Amino acid sequence: MLPLIRSEWRKLSTVRGAWLLLAAGPLLVVAGITGLVQSGGNVHDPATASKALAHVALAALFTLIFGIFAVAGEYRHGTITDTFLSSPDRGRVVTAKLAVYAAVGAVAGLISSVVAVAVTAAWWAAKGGIFHLWAADSWRTLAGGVAVNIAFAAIGVGIGALVRNLAVAIAAALAWIALIEGIAGQLVGSGLARWLPFSASEAAGRAGLTGVSRLLPQWGGGLVLAGYAVAFAVAAMVTTLRRDVT
Amino acid sequence: MVEVAVRGLTKAFGRVTAVRGISFTAPAGKVTGFLGPNGSGKTTTLRVVLGLIRPDAGAALIGGVPYGRLARPRRTVGALLEASGFHPGRRARDHLLVLADAAGIPGTRVDEVLGQVGLAAAADRRVREFSLGMRQRLGLAGALLGDPQVLLLDEPANGLDPAGIAWLRGLLRGLADDGRTVIVASHVLSEIAQTADHVVIVSAGQVRFAGALGDIGATGDALESAFLKLTATAG
Repeated sequence: MLPLIRSEWRKLSTVRGAWLLLAAGPLLVVAGITGLVQSGGNVHDPATASKALAHVALAALFTLIFGIFAVAGEYRHGTITDTFLSSPDRGRVVTAKLAVYAAVGAVAGLISSVVAVAVTAAWWAAKGGIFHLWAADSWRTLAGGVAVNIAFAAIGVGIGALVRNLAVAIAAALAWIALIEGIAGQLVGSGLARWLPFSASEAAGRAGLTGVSRLLPQWGGGLVLAGYAVAFAVAAMVTTLRRDVT
Repeated sequence: MVEVAVRGLTKAFGRVTAVRGISFTAPAGKVTGFLGPNGSGKTTTLRVVLGLIRPDAGAALIGGVPYGRLARPRRTVGALLEASGFHPGRRARDHLLVLADAAGIPGTRVDEVLGQVGLAAAADRRVREFSLGMRQRLGLAGALLGDPQVLLLDEPANGLDPAGIAWLRGLLRGLADDGRTVIVASHVLSEIAQTADHVVIVSAGQVRFAGALGDIGATGDALESAFLKLTATAG
């Protein structure tokens, strides 16, 4: 397994796009928190701080795309053939990708967290607010945000393996987040909509939202999201083992 | 000495039967030319041999073992396939290191094969800057990486200039003379006539001829007329 993990790591570290994707998350965090403060967010309200830190979970959009590229990108460029020639045991290939991209998701989430804390502290200081990094909600929000980054990376690997067409996979994932889940949520009602993946990620990525009936509690969102990640990983495994590579 | 044996291979994609009962043996120490018109089932057969496509019936064995059960696949079989590719943004050396990592081949071997295919000076360039011929050489470097006993090459001369084609001919001859099994799928009959010891001609998913090159026409013209006659009845 170690050779495959090393190979996967080299695949992603030797293309520039991977580093740009890794930088995109923290940039989104900086822009998002700055926008929150500039649009009149109240730095004296503790809830605003956890709202700012919750941008870490939003940055998971890029680990999702990362995961999709990990598999669908290989089909796009035809490198999947060489990958399976090196390891005819495709289950090991998928496992190695899940392991590497979960780790990438964790690192991306941690970098976004550090950036989020720094930017929040800077804005709160500039606006005369007091930012309590040690408050329980801050830590739980950041921990949830990192977990969402990991889960989305694994879900991305699953989507990439299921769809294989890179453009279609990315378009479908973005359309789901921007549009389809919202419409589906309205159709099924808020009782069921809480269980949909993006809503679960919103719940998991922000502490202190008790009383928001639209979302599951944070731990519940985290569990549901973990369930989606496992389901996509299993689907990726099963379809990849069976399909012909033409 | 590792021979490749294809036994009664059949594969349908939906309602299209790509391969129906193909059998042949490619012996060690020989170059086997694998010929056939477009859509005759050559690529499907090669991909089944490499474990990329699962056949509906039959089997393909490399030294008696299917590809998926080889202990060290890249050290046993090297392949160059048309539809396989490169990430355009990756440097040539990194592309080969990705393969070497996965196969547990030391990184020093990468520079050896880059030298062998004449890409040493281009090792640190990104593949997007490569000509078709350079990509072909990089693909060959990947096939040679594990110093394999079996080589499966689909249209290896594609994009090579005349000097490159002459170099390739010498390379294939040398590999076979070392006792390796070399299978070359190609449309360039004049090239096969100069390189191959054996030929297998397929058409419409079936074998039309399998045997020594001398039995069908040792010159390019003779091979071409035999090929056209054997494949004209296709369908």
